[in-house]
Amino acid sequence: MKNVVIAGYVRSPFTPAGKGALARVRPDDIAAQVVAALVARSGVDPNDIEDLIVGCAFPEGEQGLNVGRLIAMLAGLPQSVAGMTVNRFCGSSMQAVHIAAGAIQLGAGELFIAAGIESMSRVPMLGFNPLLNPALQAKLPAAYIGMGDTAENVAAKWQISRTEQEAFAVRSQQRAALAIQAGRLAAELVSITTKSGSVDADGCPRPDTTAAGLAQLKPAFSESGTVTAGTSSPLTDGGSAVLVCSEDYASKHGIKPLARIVSVAVAGCAPEIMGIGPVAATRKALQRANLEIAAIDVVELNEAFSSQSLACARDLGIRDATLNIDGGAIALGHPLGATGARIVGKAASLLQREGGRYALATQCIGGGQGIATILERI
Amino acid sequence: MEPIRKATVIGAGVMGAGIAAQFANAGVPVLLLDVVPSGAANRNALAEGAIAKMLKTDPAPFMSARAAKLVTAGNIEDDLAKVADSDWIVEAVIERLDIKQALYRKLDSVRKPGTAVSSNTSTIPLAQLTDGQSAAFKRDFLITHFFNPPRYMRLLEIVTGPETDAPLAARVAKCADFMLGKSIVRCKDSPGFIANRLGIYWLQVGVVEAIDAGLTVEEADAVIGKPVGVPKTGVFGLIDLVGLDLMPHINGSLAKALPASDAFHGANRDLPLIKKMIAEGYTGRKGKGGFYRLNRSGGGKIKEAIDLASGAYRPEQKPELPELAGAAKNLRALFSSTSKIGRYAWRVLAQTLSYAATLVPEAADDIDAIDEAMRLGYNWQWGPFELVDKLGAEWFADKLAEDGLPVPTLLEAAKGKTFYRIADGRRQYLGADGAYHALTRPDGVLMLEDVKRVGKPVLKNASGAVWDIGDGVLCFEFTSKSNSLDDQIMALLGKTIALVQQKYKALVIYNEGQNFSVGANLGLAIFAANIAAWSEIEKLIAGGQQVYKAMKYAPFPVVSAPAGMALGGGCEILLHSDAVQAHAESYIGLVECGVGLLPGWGGCKEMLSRWSGSGLLPRGPMPAPSKVFETVSTATVSKSAAEAKELLFLRASDGITMNRYRLLADAKACALRLAVNYAPPKPVELKLPGAAGKVAFQVAAEGFHRRGIATNHDLVVSGELAGVLSGGPADLVDVVSEDQVLDLERAAFMRLMKTPGTLARIEHMLVTGKPLRN
Repeated sequence: MKNVVIAGYVRSPFTPAGKGALARVRPDDIAAQVVAALVARSGVDPNDIEDLIVGCAFPEGEQGLNVGRLIAMLAGLPQSVAGMTVNRFCGSSMQAVHIAAGAIQLGAGELFIAAGIESMSRVPMLGFNPLLNPALQAKLPAAYIGMGDTAENVAAKWQISRTEQEAFAVRSQQRAALAIQAGRLAAELVSITTKSGSVDADGCPRPDTTAAGLAQLKPAFSESGTVTAGTSSPLTDGGSAVLVCSEDYASKHGIKPLARIVSVAVAGCAPEIMGIGPVAATRKALQRANLEIAAIDVVELNEAFSSQSLACARDLGIRDATLNIDGGAIALGHPLGATGARIVGKAASLLQREGGRYALATQCIGGGQGIATILERI
Repeated sequence: MEPIRKATVIGAGVMGAGIAAQFANAGVPVLLLDVVPSGAANRNALAEGAIAKMLKTDPAPFMSARAAKLVTAGNIEDDLAKVADSDWIVEAVIERLDIKQALYRKLDSVRKPGTAVSSNTSTIPLAQLTDGQSAAFKRDFLITHFFNPPRYMRLLEIVTGPETDAPLAARVAKCADFMLGKSIVRCKDSPGFIANRLGIYWLQVGVVEAIDAGLTVEEADAVIGKPVGVPKTGVFGLIDLVGLDLMPHINGSLAKALPASDAFHGANRDLPLIKKMIAEGYTGRKGKGGFYRLNRSGGGKIKEAIDLASGAYRPEQKPELPELAGAAKNLRALFSSTSKIGRYAWRVLAQTLSYAATLVPEAADDIDAIDEAMRLGYNWQWGPFELVDKLGAEWFADKLAEDGLPVPTLLEAAKGKTFYRIADGRRQYLGADGAYHALTRPDGVLMLEDVKRVGKPVLKNASGAVWDIGDGVLCFEFTSKSNSLDDQIMALLGKTIALVQQKYKALVIYNEGQNFSVGANLGLAIFAANIAAWSEIEKLIAGGQQVYKAMKYAPFPVVSAPAGMALGGGCEILLHSDAVQAHAESYIGLVECGVGLLPGWGGCKEMLSRWSGSGLLPRGPMPAPSKVFETVSTATVSKSAAEAKELLFLRASDGITMNRYRLLADAKACALRLAVNYAPPKPVELKLPGAAGKVAFQVAAEGFHRRGIATNHDLVVSGELAGVLSGGPADLVDVVSEDQVLDLERAAFMRLMKTPGTLARIEHMLVTGKPLRN
């Protein structure tokens, strides 16, 4: 079978929904600029691209109408490049990577762009018309459970205290702040041109966050709960994209790949504890790669919430030194559909930067799922 | 009227900023300037700070977020030349003659000639302000004295000088009237003008007499409050509100300006207690507290009051004053009482009312100006001369003489007469010349009060009356307690609809109560519930639905004209009207969920149809019901008419009247406009999400419940609301008629009415006036 590699990664700045610098920018416009920048930076011939696969958790409104195809047009890709939109909620753009990889191994193309987009300012969570199935709601109320409630459930079941959650949030903020200060995020960022100027920097991080400050916050989802806005990822606007191609294509065209995809997996779990989804998915992926967690040198575990991140890290035995080296979604933000491509691209770049052999990118998914990707440095 | 297109306010203190906000509320772009603070990096810091502070102030100086954007911050050093674009410049800087005069000289060189310049001074005479200014400046200058807070206080005192250009002053007065919604009282150029001259004297007498008589502040405020038509803050509560620290300044400047013969000097005693309080930071509500304070030491919140003798705080006492029972109806008895309280009431009012009688013609041309100033500037229910009429001028004058107090000439002349009378169908006042003169309303003002004085109602029952307001228009007035809605109102409204159809062109629904309507009469509902008269309740709901529907589809236009609160059923009347002409200070909302019910007179139906047809929301069956669910389940009430438009309680095309006095005339004009080629609206057909939407609302509500925002009974109420708004059994491919939503409303209302949680909420509201969070 053909080897599949990650050969490039970029993203837009991530900014807070509603009040951030991208709140007034259409999501398709954000994604098109990200995709165009990836093509330009990687130097590939756009005519070689088979498909633009765009992950989006709420593909409606300005990110509806098969936005994948529309982003290809906006980005100025040749009309011969196809476009699709894929939805696995928060796992959408990691799924886009998996689809590209599967296609390459099937011989259905050599070069793909897997991207993700979400404007949580412009398309609300649950979308504009949440029409729940009353029969399913009666049978399994957790099918529609709110994400914050699942974070509380995980905190309770895994006995993750509020203090631990807050310490983890501070860690994320500090790591992100250090990375930004040292300019370590500059290479992945694409400046987004908007009507009111260009947006160059992430807007979500709060480098001044302290444990004492977090301790003052009210619980965000349950009166008696432990999860607060400070220990949750913020609602975010942003887009991301990775270049996925066969290893052969890369070497033939003089492209320096970042990492090889070793294995992937998805797995379901109980929806009321969806935050634990990465555990099952990661175990499957590790098994498929014939690896132990100890072999993983770089982990990008999406920080939907502190509680689920800690529970997953604990269950999987992830070493702290390997985890979210440049901070995670609690600091950087979590534009649902865009996060998967970000953490795959990030894990691949970190392998290059930090050394080590294997990397893991994994995330939890609303409805009770996990998704995981294992990479190997080239 | 040539409108003001742009205005400038100089001085970004509480008054200046508040005046700027009111220009913005009127839709006028306004430049707000202040000095550059020494060493400031941001040269506009003062004006910007004032705007930012106003956005957080409650009650809000701005009527909408949009209004706030009309205020541009600047500073006097860099931006003064910009006043050349303004049609009206208001100066509201510190009360120092030298500073004001220097500013005027600078302004005179940059302003466009013919631009009105007015000062908001409360103490400095116009003659001094304009002394040494150019002839052109004097021609364009006047005093416009606003009251705090400028958005809410309706009084504007205007003082012109001998050189002021009369047409220019008239233009300013007209703009203040129509655009800023102020009632204009013309004052003479005398110290303190009218309201503060009398008001400060009254407060000073109130304090001094209380101290002398050994009263507690609670006793003083209880008697100089409701019984005499004064807001419940009374004397001491009002000083706390205004700020104790202002008292010495205002008193000092009045003392300096008033002739030695003025009675003010007798009352203006040095009060060591007040000095001490100010020195210790007890400057009133804005400081640590004043005569009253909230003691937060020890973690709790204890209401305390100061002991006037010792100066020590002690827990607030509720005074028991038998003298006050029925006092408002029998002021003579109160003032004749020899008790400590009776004597105090008499001493304060005797001096205040006689002082008022000395102010004509020195401060005001006539008594009505003084009464209006006190009604609108101090929120007195009755002006001083109206109070004298209640007592009888002769009785009052005789009692003054009996007590050895001087009897002013004006009062002497009123013996055997009244200050006001009705003659030839008009209200007349007693002039200083001893003759009666007709009271005239400003041009174009139509008051129901005047219509009622000369006419008889066309229809009437225990809860409402219908008046002919001319030109083929009838006015429906609620007359029930708090203008609450009941079966009588529904019956009368039904009759009125039939009558207008036969003989008239249009109907206006309007009244001159404090509030348009606070909603359905809950007392009746609970009474019926207690005897399980469910069919009666259902009949009332069904009857209301039918009457409102008949009103909506009647072959003539219906215009509602709310002012103050229009809640619940009161809001539903607005929703069923062809147009609403709202006073800017209208507080509108569907608050039924607060008492465990839901809008049952078509409120759900109308809000669904408004949001569905608004074009403001994404497509699909959920956005409109979601918006309505959000607004109604939280019992959201608009904080202004402008905000009511954002919530769609008002349509974009509905009118807003700034001046309360002009509301009825504007509503009538609107009704007559609509009456030309009138066609009733077409029924709306709705597409609703059905059970799928209901589940989505319930899931959301349960989330709020877990967060502790929604209570147990909130879940019950919002569950019923969700059922109505999602269309009940409807499938999303169905077309849902207005009648189907009405049926859902009625059924859900009845189910809620029978729950113990709802009954407990209603009872609690009736007893305490506050919502029960069960």
